[in-house]
Amino acid sequence: MKFHWSVTLMLAALLVFSFGLATAQEMNKEQWQQEVDKYTQQRNELSDKIKSLNSSIESMKSQSGKLDGDYTKAMDELYGLVGSDATKAGEFRKQVEYSENAANDLMRLSDADLIARETEVNDLENKVRGLWSDKLSLVPEFWDRLTAVNEKIASLKTTLANQIKTYTVGTWQRDRDCLWNISKKKDIYDNAWLWPKIWQGNRDQIKDPDVIKTGWKLKIPKGNELSAEEKTAAKKYYSKKAVVVGQ
Amino acid sequence: MNKLNRTVTALGVALLFTTSIMLVGCSSKPDEAQMKQLADLKSEVDALQKEITSKEGEKAAFEKEVAEKTAKLKKVADDMAVVKQRLANK
Repeated sequence: MKFHWSVTLMLAALLVFSFGLATAQEMNKEQWQQEVDKYTQQRNELSDKIKSLNSSIESMKSQSGKLDGDYTKAMDELYGLVGSDATKAGEFRKQVEYSENAANDLMRLSDADLIARETEVNDLENKVRGLWSDKLSLVPEFWDRLTAVNEKIASLKTTLANQIKTYTVGTWQRDRDCLWNISKKKDIYDNAWLWPKIWQGNRDQIKDPDVIKTGWKLKIPKGNELSAEEKTAAKKYYSKKAVVVGQ
Repeated sequence: MNKLNRTVTALGVALLFTTSIMLVGCSSKPDEAQMKQLADLKSEVDALQKEITSKEGEKAAFEKEVAEKTAKLKKVADDMAVVKQRLANK
């Protein structure tokens, strides 16, 4: 009897389980319809959204094109204010860029190398002065960039002004060092006739320009020509020598 | 009594079985074409969602571009005012 009831209960449970499984796995028509409705609604909403996005994109494309035109026109007007145009401004921009690069190159040099290239600093200064004289320099883009270059040039000039080049006298036997020969050296003046500059710049040590001693540290004054005082000193020296030679 | 019990039980089981079969068998199910229609609809929705993501990216890029160009244009207007001022001071 008990066995009989157990079998019956098991069968009933199996049936309920199978029914549940069957209904859970398979969709009935009503559920299908609900799904179709749901996805159809989603599709319609998404399609509308795409239409709206496309419209926004088209509108922005046209706005972007109009802004390009407005920008070109405004730039022409800006360059027109200083009596120039886009082509000339392009050329001017290249020259400003060249000056910027030159200034940056010089800024990277060691003090010793900078002294050797002092003339380039002066050339750059003149070039930038020329650029400032062009009305295009009033345009903020150029004004700001040239101001930055000017600051670099000022810094370079300060560095140069603070540098005192020196030369240590070697032996006559080995280096043939005299004021004439020192002055003739490429890295000094590259001009023997400027020897009085060294003499006058080192009056504390050099009493007689014909006598310099090994190991002296001589200051090398800047410049590529003799000052009035140096010329006078040189004349006196040559006259004295002439008298000595004449006697 | 025993026989009666057995009969009632057998009848109950048979009734339960028949009802279940009828419930499962008689509920209407969508056919293959309808299931395909639903699957196509789902794919279409997925594709549209992907397209929207792409379009939104495109729109954002254009918005950025327009904002940048507007700012550039405003800067030119400001520059013009500065140049006029500098010319006046020259």
